[in-house]
Amino acid sequence: MTVNRRPKPAAINPIKIGQSLGAVLALQGCYRAMPLIHGAQGCSAFPKALLTRHFREPIAVQTSALQEMDVIFDANRNLEEALNVVLSKHRPDIIGIIGTELTDVAGVDYQTMLKSYKRERNMRGGLAFSVVLPDFRGSLESGYSSTVEAMLDEMIQQVGHRGARTVNTRQITLLPGSFLTPADVMELKEIISSFGFEVIALPDTSTSLSGHLLTGFSPLTRGGVPLDSMLQSLQSGLTIAVGASMERPARRLHNALGTPYKVFSRAMGLKATDELLHFLHQISGEPVPVRYCWQRENLLDGMLDAHFQFAGMSAVAALEPDHLVAVSGWLEELGVEQKALIASFETPLVAGLEREVWVGDLDDAEVLGKGSDLWISNSHGINGAERIGAAFMPAGFPVWNELGAYMSVSVGYRGAMEWTNKAGNLIMRREAGHREGSIRHR
Amino acid sequence: MEPVRKEELDSEACGSHAPKVKACPRPKPGEAAGGCSFDGAQITLLPIMDAAHLVHGPIACAGNSWESRGTLTSGPALSQYGFATDLNDSDIIFGGEKKLRESIDYIAGRFAPPAIFVYATCVTALIGEDMDAVCKEAAERIGVPVIPVNSPGFVGSKNLGNRLAGDALLQYVVGTGEPEPDAPLGVNLIGEYNIAGEMWDIEQLMTSAGIPVTSRITGDARYRELTWAHRAKVNMVVCSRALLGLAKQMESRYGIPYFEGSFYGAKETTYSLRQMAYLMNDRDMERRVDRLTEREESRLIQELRPYRKVLKGKKAVLYTGGVKSWSVISALKELGVQVVGVGTNKSTEDDVRRIADRVGDDTEYIPEGGAGRILKTVRERKADIMIAGGRNMYVAMKEQIPFIDINQERHKAYAGYEGLLRLAKELTYSLANPIWKLASAPAPWDKEGAYDR
Repeated sequence: MTVNRRPKPAAINPIKIGQSLGAVLALQGCYRAMPLIHGAQGCSAFPKALLTRHFREPIAVQTSALQEMDVIFDANRNLEEALNVVLSKHRPDIIGIIGTELTDVAGVDYQTMLKSYKRERNMRGGLAFSVVLPDFRGSLESGYSSTVEAMLDEMIQQVGHRGARTVNTRQITLLPGSFLTPADVMELKEIISSFGFEVIALPDTSTSLSGHLLTGFSPLTRGGVPLDSMLQSLQSGLTIAVGASMERPARRLHNALGTPYKVFSRAMGLKATDELLHFLHQISGEPVPVRYCWQRENLLDGMLDAHFQFAGMSAVAALEPDHLVAVSGWLEELGVEQKALIASFETPLVAGLEREVWVGDLDDAEVLGKGSDLWISNSHGINGAERIGAAFMPAGFPVWNELGAYMSVSVGYRGAMEWTNKAGNLIMRREAGHREGSIRHR
Repeated sequence: MEPVRKEELDSEACGSHAPKVKACPRPKPGEAAGGCSFDGAQITLLPIMDAAHLVHGPIACAGNSWESRGTLTSGPALSQYGFATDLNDSDIIFGGEKKLRESIDYIAGRFAPPAIFVYATCVTALIGEDMDAVCKEAAERIGVPVIPVNSPGFVGSKNLGNRLAGDALLQYVVGTGEPEPDAPLGVNLIGEYNIAGEMWDIEQLMTSAGIPVTSRITGDARYRELTWAHRAKVNMVVCSRALLGLAKQMESRYGIPYFEGSFYGAKETTYSLRQMAYLMNDRDMERRVDRLTEREESRLIQELRPYRKVLKGKKAVLYTGGVKSWSVISALKELGVQVVGVGTNKSTEDDVRRIADRVGDDTEYIPEGGAGRILKTVRERKADIMIAGGRNMYVAMKEQIPFIDINQERHKAYAGYEGLLRLAKELTYSLANPIWKLASAPAPWDKEGAYDR
C-alpha cells in the first residue's frame, strides 16, 4: 500500500522528534558513555529534559554550546574544547559526537576534525565516533539506528585490523530497536538466553535506564553494555535485530564480519512471539522452556477473556514506524478495527505494509481517528484523545503521565498479555464512564 | 526591606540594552547546562493561552519541546498546540518562506486565533529567512497580528530569549489596544508565568486587597489584555531580571513606575502588595493591603507552627536560576530552614548582593560546575534537602537526597501565603518519607559487608 499524507502546510501537534534525541537514547545503553551534541545549547537541553521526563533517570549528554559567531567562524573550536573538557573531567569509555541540523546547514566538517583529534591525542582504549543527524530527515527511530550503525562501524574498524576473529556460535548479538523499553530488552535477553545462548544487547538500556541505586550520580551513563562486551560482541555467531530499523546495523555486521542475521520486524503479539521462540528452538536444538509454554497458554486464555471487551472496537495509533507496525500486528490479533495508523516518517517497512498508513502528526490522528474507542500514542496525545472521546493508552516516547511506563513489557507472551489487559481495562473503564454519564443525564 | 531601583545595577542584567553591557558569559562547551534563547522566548510567550505559537524551522525545536512547561490555563488552550513548519531537506535548500506563509494562513483559517507568534530557529536564521517581512505581509492579508520572535537558539542563553520575547511584546503588542472604558486600571504582573497555578494565588490575593490586575505578562494571559498593558498604573517585575528591560522601556515610553518583587515567602509577599498599593498612590488601598497582610500573616503563623517544628534547623542547598535564588531564600528562612549552599550560576551581581543580605556568612556560593559541584556542597555541608530545578531532580534521587522542584516544570505552587504553607508541607513530607531509610539500608544478604558501594 502507498503511504498517505493529509495536505496541510504545517505540522500540528507533532509526534516526530529530532533524530539527535534517538542518538542520545542509544548511547544511554552503553556504560560510561557520553553523547556530545554538536549544536546550540537547546539541541542538548531539550532532549535531556524530555528523556529525563520519560525515564525518570538522569541522562548523560553534553553540548558544544554553539553560538551564532561560532557557527560563522569555527564551530569545531567549540567541539574541540568540549572534547577536552569531557575527556579530562569524566574520562568516558565511549564518546559519540552527534551532528545536528545546525552543523549540517552550516556545513561543519567534524568527521575530519575528529579523525585528526584522535590521531593527535592518541586516543586508545576508548571508542569515539561521529554521526550526522539533522532533524529535517527521519525521527527518533532513524537517529537511534544510525547511531548504533556508526558505533558498530567504529568498533569494526578498531578490531578489524587486530587479525582473525574467532566465532563464538553460542553467543548472540541482540540489536533492540528504539521503541523497546528497558524491560523489553531485559525480556528479550531472558528469552534468548533461556535457549542456552549468551546474549550481548547493543545498546542495552535494561541495565541503565531501568533505574537502580547501585551507584550514586554520575555525569556519564550509569549502566548499559560495557565497552569490552561491545567489542566481544563482534565474535557472535548470530545477530538478532528487533525492529526493521535495526536491519541496517545488522547488515553492517554481516558485510564486515560475515555474521548472519535475523530481523524480527513485528515484535508484539502471539504470532510474533511464536516466530521468535520457534526460531530460537530451531537454531539451538533446545526445547522451548516450560515457562514460555505456560505463558503462551496464559496469553491465549487471557485473549479469550478479553475478546468480549474488544468486540466491535476500533483504534487509532500514532507512533514511530517500527513501533506502529508492531502495535498494528497486536491489534490485528485482538480483532480491533484499525481506523488509522499514523507514522512519524516514512520507512520501507511502513510503505510495504498491507494496510493504509499515514505519515503525519497527532492532529491527523484526531481527524482520521474520529470515532475510535482506543487511542495509542505518546503522552502528547492525551488532549486529542479526549477531544475525540477515545480511551487514551500511552505508548512510545515520551510518556510522562504514567509511573513506570519505561518498565512496561510489550514483547513476548508476557508483553502481549500486559498490553491486552491494559487496553481492555481502559476500554472497560471508558464504558463504565459512559454508562454513568448517560444515567446522570436522564 | 529596601525597594531596589538602582539604574546601574540594571545594566548588568544579562543581555541588557544599556551601553555598559557586561556581556553574557559564553557558555562553556562540554560543561554547559540549560536551554537556549528559543527556549527562553517560548517560556515567556507560551503562557499567552489563546494565541497560536508557530515554530518556523525543522522539527526538533518544536517536536522536542512542546507541552513541556508547567504553565496552566483557565480557559483557552490553543497555546498548548504544537505548531511547526517542519521544514525538510528541500525547504532548507529552496527556502521555507512559502511554507511559513501557507502555515500562517492555515492556522488563521482553521483556529481563528487572536494572534500568531512566529518563532525563528537556528536553521531559519542561518538560511536567511526574512521572517519579519513574511509576518508583516501575512498580518495585513489576514487581518490578525502576526508577531515575529527573533530569538533563535544560538544567539545565547535562556535569559536572553526571555528578554527578546519581551522586546517582541513591546514592539508589536503593547500599545496596540485599549481596555474597556470602565475597567479599573491597576498593576501589570511581568514575568509571572502561572507555573502550577501560582498566578491564580497571586490574583486572588490582589483581588482581596482590591488591587486590579491590568495585564498578566504573561501567565494565563489572553492576547487582548497584553495590547492594553501600557494603560496600567504600576508594573511589577516578578522574579525576572530578563524582563526588567520591558518594565524600563514602559517606564520611559508610558511613564509607568515599576518595582521588582517576589511572592516567595510571607515577607516578600507582604512587601510586594504594599509596594503595589504605594505606587498606585491610593490610601484606601494601602489600608486594605495592611489589613489583608496582617490577617494572612497571623493566620499563616498559626498554620505553619507544626511544620516549623519539624523544619527548624534543617539545612538546604538551593540551586536555581538568577532571581529565584534570593527570593526563595526568604521563604526558606521564614520556615526555619537554613540555606547552607546557594547557586549563583545565572545570578547577576545585584542578585548576589541580595543573596548576601539574606544568608549568613557561612553559606557557600556555588558559581557553576553542574551536578557534581552541587553534590559536593550537599555532602560537605551535610544538607538535609536539595531544592533545585527538575534537571537536577534525578541527580538528587540517585544520591538519595530529599528534593523539592522549584523551577518551571514544578507541579506545586509556592507563591503567596498559601504557597509558603504548601512549601512547608512539601518539605516536611519529603524529609519524612520512609524511602530514605529503606534505600540506605543494604539487603539482608549484603549485611556482612561484602557489598561494594
